[in-house]
Amino acid sequence: MKKTIFALCLVALLGATPAMAQADFSTYVALGDSYTAGFASGSLMDWHQERSFPAVIAQQEAGTTFEQALISQPGIGPILELVSLAPVPVITPVGLVPGLPTNATLPRPYNNYGVPTATLYDILFRTGDILNISPDNVFYDIILRNGINTALEWSIGAQPTFMTVWIGNWDVLGALLAGTPIDGVTMTPEESFALLFNNAIGALVTNTAADIVLINIPYCTQTPFVTSLDPYVEIPQIGRWYFTADTGPLTDDDLLTLGAGALIAMGYGLPTGPPLPDNLDLISGEPGVVLRAAEVAMINDRIDAFNAIIADVGATYGLPVFDMNALFDDLFTGALVPNYGSITLSTDFLLGGIYSYDGLHPQHIGYALIADELIQFINATYGNNIPRVDMGEALFEGDWQTPGVSPAKAKDVVMSKEAFDQLYRMAPPKLDQAPRIRRPGGNRTERPSGDLRRKPSLH
Amino acid sequence: MIAKNRGRVLLVAAVVLTAPVLGWGSGFALFEVGGRQGGMAGAMVAVGDDLSTLFWNPAGMAFQTDEGIQLMVGTTLIQPEQMFSGMSPYPGDSYRADQVEQTFFPVHLFLGIPVNDRLEVSFALHSPFGLGTEWEDDFLGRFISQKADLMVFDLGVSMAYQLSENVAFGIGIDYMTAVIELTRNIGLINPYDQRVSDVAEANLKSEGLNAAWAWNAGILWKIGSGFSFGASYRSAFTINGDGKASFTQIPTGYADLDGLIDTFFPFDGKVPVEASIAFPDFWSVGLAWQNEKWTVSGQYGIQGWNVYEDLPIIFPENPEFSSVREENWEDAAQWRIGVELRASQHWDLRIGYLEDETPQPPEAMSPLLADNDRVSYMGGISYHTDRFRFDIAYEQVEGDARSTDGQSNDGFDGTYDSGGPLLHMSITLKF
Repeated sequence: MKKTIFALCLVALLGATPAMAQADFSTYVALGDSYTAGFASGSLMDWHQERSFPAVIAQQEAGTTFEQALISQPGIGPILELVSLAPVPVITPVGLVPGLPTNATLPRPYNNYGVPTATLYDILFRTGDILNISPDNVFYDIILRNGINTALEWSIGAQPTFMTVWIGNWDVLGALLAGTPIDGVTMTPEESFALLFNNAIGALVTNTAADIVLINIPYCTQTPFVTSLDPYVEIPQIGRWYFTADTGPLTDDDLLTLGAGALIAMGYGLPTGPPLPDNLDLISGEPGVVLRAAEVAMINDRIDAFNAIIADVGATYGLPVFDMNALFDDLFTGALVPNYGSITLSTDFLLGGIYSYDGLHPQHIGYALIADELIQFINATYGNNIPRVDMGEALFEGDWQTPGVSPAKAKDVVMSKEAFDQLYRMAPPKLDQAPRIRRPGGNRTERPSGDLRRKPSLH
Repeated sequence: MIAKNRGRVLLVAAVVLTAPVLGWGSGFALFEVGGRQGGMAGAMVAVGDDLSTLFWNPAGMAFQTDEGIQLMVGTTLIQPEQMFSGMSPYPGDSYRADQVEQTFFPVHLFLGIPVNDRLEVSFALHSPFGLGTEWEDDFLGRFISQKADLMVFDLGVSMAYQLSENVAFGIGIDYMTAVIELTRNIGLINPYDQRVSDVAEANLKSEGLNAAWAWNAGILWKIGSGFSFGASYRSAFTINGDGKASFTQIPTGYADLDGLIDTFFPFDGKVPVEASIAFPDFWSVGLAWQNEKWTVSGQYGIQGWNVYEDLPIIFPENPEFSSVREENWEDAAQWRIGVELRASQHWDLRIGYLEDETPQPPEAMSPLLADNDRVSYMGGISYHTDRFRFDIAYEQVEGDARSTDGQSNDGFDGTYDSGGPLLHMSITLKF
C-alpha cells in the first residue's frame, strides 16, 4: 500500500513538473531578421507575413495575439513571381510599385521584430522612422517606427513572456549575394559576433522574464540560390563546358549564384563570351557570381563559428537552442524528407516546395515546416502541448498570386537581373567598412552606443 | 537546374507510384465460405460436417461420404465502412473523411464427391483474400490510394480419408490467382502557385494469370462423448505478378508545366510492372462438442503474416520507378466460438463470436488498408431437408478505432474507425 501511495505521488509529481515549466505564450515576441519576418520571394508582404513561422506558432497556441508590421501587396520589394517555366524558368518582380504598411498605427509594440536584412549589429543599433521612410532603411522604418528604438529595445519593451531569437543569417548572407566572403564587408567578423550576441542575449535575459529559445544558423550555401545552376553546360560538338570566370574555369566543387543566370544568357562564361565575374568588385560594388570551393568552406566555417557562439551563449544563460542548421542540413542531404500523404518536400528550387522564388527564403510551406519543427521542440523542452501545424492547409492553400503578370517582360533567364538586383540591393556589401576589417576587433567606438534598457516610445 | 527538376519529378512519381502497392498483401484475409459457418463465427475446424470444411479442415469431408455428392454455392455480401479522422501535421486535426460505400460479394463454390465410404474427393473455389477501398475524389490521401481492388481466387482439389471410425485426415492443393487494380493520383508542388496540384492519375492493373501453388491439410478426431478435436493448416504462398501501369494526365492549367510533365510520364501507353506479394500461412486448432440438439465449438488460429516483410515493385522499363517498401507485419491470432441449436427437424439456429488481431503495424496503416483489431457478433438460421439446405447469417464487425500514432510511413496520420455488416448465404444440394 505504501508503495502504491509512493508511486502515485511520484506520478503526480512527474506529471506536474512539465506543467509548471510550460512556456507562457501570452506575449510572444520573435526577434530576428527576414526569416523571422516571413520574408519570401524577395518581398515582405502581408500574405507571407501572416504565414511567418512565429505567426504560425502563435496561431497554434490558442489565445495568443500576434501583431506584425504588415505590408500590403505586392510587398516591399515587389514580390517575385515565376512567369514561365519552360524552356527556361523565368522569375521576375511583378511590378515597380511597392506595397504600403497597413498596421503602422498599432499603439503598442509589435510581436514580430524580425527585420529583413538585419544583422546582429542591426538589431542592436539600427533604428527606423516611419515618418521618414528611406529606401535604404525601409524595413527598419516600417517595423521600428519611432526613430529611437532598436529591434532589441522594442522586444524588451514589449515585456515578452516567450521569445524566439533567430539572428545571424544576414551576417553571412552578404557573402552569398556578392559571391565573395570578405570579413567586415560581406561577413561579420567572428569576434564581433561573439561580443554582440552575448550582449544582445544578456540584455534580453536581464530585462525580460521571458522564456527564450535561441535558433542557430543554417548553411546558406545549401540554398537553391547557389545550388540550382550547374557549373557547366553541355554544348553540342564540344561536350561539357565548364563556365569560365575571370579567375579561371569553374570546377564541380564551385557554386554559381542565381545572379549568374542573366549573365550566362548573355554569353558570359561560354567559349565565345566574356568570363563570369567571380568576385565582388570593391570599387563598383558589382557582385561576383561564383563561389569557389574555398569560399564555400569559408562561409560554412563562419556559420559554424557563429553557431558555436550561439551554443555557448545559450549554455551560459541556460537557454535552449533549436538546431535549425541540422534541420536544413538534413533537408538538403535528404536525411530528412518530409512526406505528407506521399507529397514530399525538398530543398530543390521551384519544385521542392520549401523555398520561395528568391532561392534564399522559405515560402509559406517552408515556414509552416519550420513552425512545426519548432513547436515540437518547444513542447519537448517546456512541456507545452501546442498542436502541431496542419500542413494540409499549407500544402493546398497555395501562394499569393498576381493575375495578369505578363511573361513578355521577362528575360530568358532563371532569375531576371531585376529580381537579382532587388535582392542584392537589400544588403549591399559594406564597401565603406572594408578598411575596418584590417583592425582586429574593429573600432567599435565609432559605432552608435545603444542603451539596451531604453524603453521604446511611439511618435 | 532543369535536369535537377526532372529528377525531382521522377522521384515524386516513383514515390507516388509505389506506395499504394503496400496494400496488395495486407491483412485482408477472407473467411466467408458459407452461411452456416458464418453464423458460427467460422468455428468449424473441429466440426467439419458441411462443405465449408473444405476451407476450415479438409479432413471433415471424410465423415460426409454418406451424404452423397454435395454441392454448395453461396456468397457473402460485405459492406465495409471506414471513417478517418486526421491529425496534424497531415492531413490535419480537423480533417474527416469516409470511404465510399461499396458492396462486395465473394463467391464460394464447393463440390464433394464420395469415392467410397472412407474416401472423398472434393473441389473448391473461393476467395481467401480480398480488399476493396475507395475514397472520394477530393480525399487528401488520394496520392496514396484513391481506389483499390484485390481478389485472390483459390481453386483447390482435396481428398479426405477416414483412417478409423473416429479419425480422418485430409490434404489438398490450391491454385491461387490474384486480380489487382490500384488507382491513385500523382501530386506535385506546382511551381506556379506553390500548392499541391494533381498532375496525373496512375492506374496499376494486373494482367494475365498471376498465380501460385499452395497446399492444405487437416486432421479431425472424434474423441468421444460428443467431443471432437480438429487441426488444420493452409500454406503460405507468394504471387509474383505482372501487370501494366497507365497514366492519365490531369491538366494543371499551366501549359508549359503540363508540357514538362508530359515529357516525364508515359501518358501515351502502358508500362509493365512486376510485384511480388507474400501471403501468410494459417493454422487452426479447435475443440467441439455436439449432441442431438446442440453444437458448441471453439478454435484458435494464427495467420503467419510475418512473411510480409517488404514489397518489391519493379518497373522493368522504368527502373527509376522501382522500389522496395518495408512492411514488417507480424503474425496475428484469432479466436472463434460458435453455438448451433437444431431447433426442429428443418430449422437450425446459431450464434457466434470472434476476435481477430491485426497483423499490421501502425506505421503501415494507410488509406489503402488500415487494419485494426476487431470483434464480430453474428447470428444465423438454416432451413434444410434431406437433399437441400439454405443457410443465412448476419454478422456485424466492430473494429477498434486505431491511430497511426504519428508514425505513418506515408505521412498520413490519423485514426481509422472501421466496421460493417456481412450477410452470409449459401445453398447446399445433395444428390
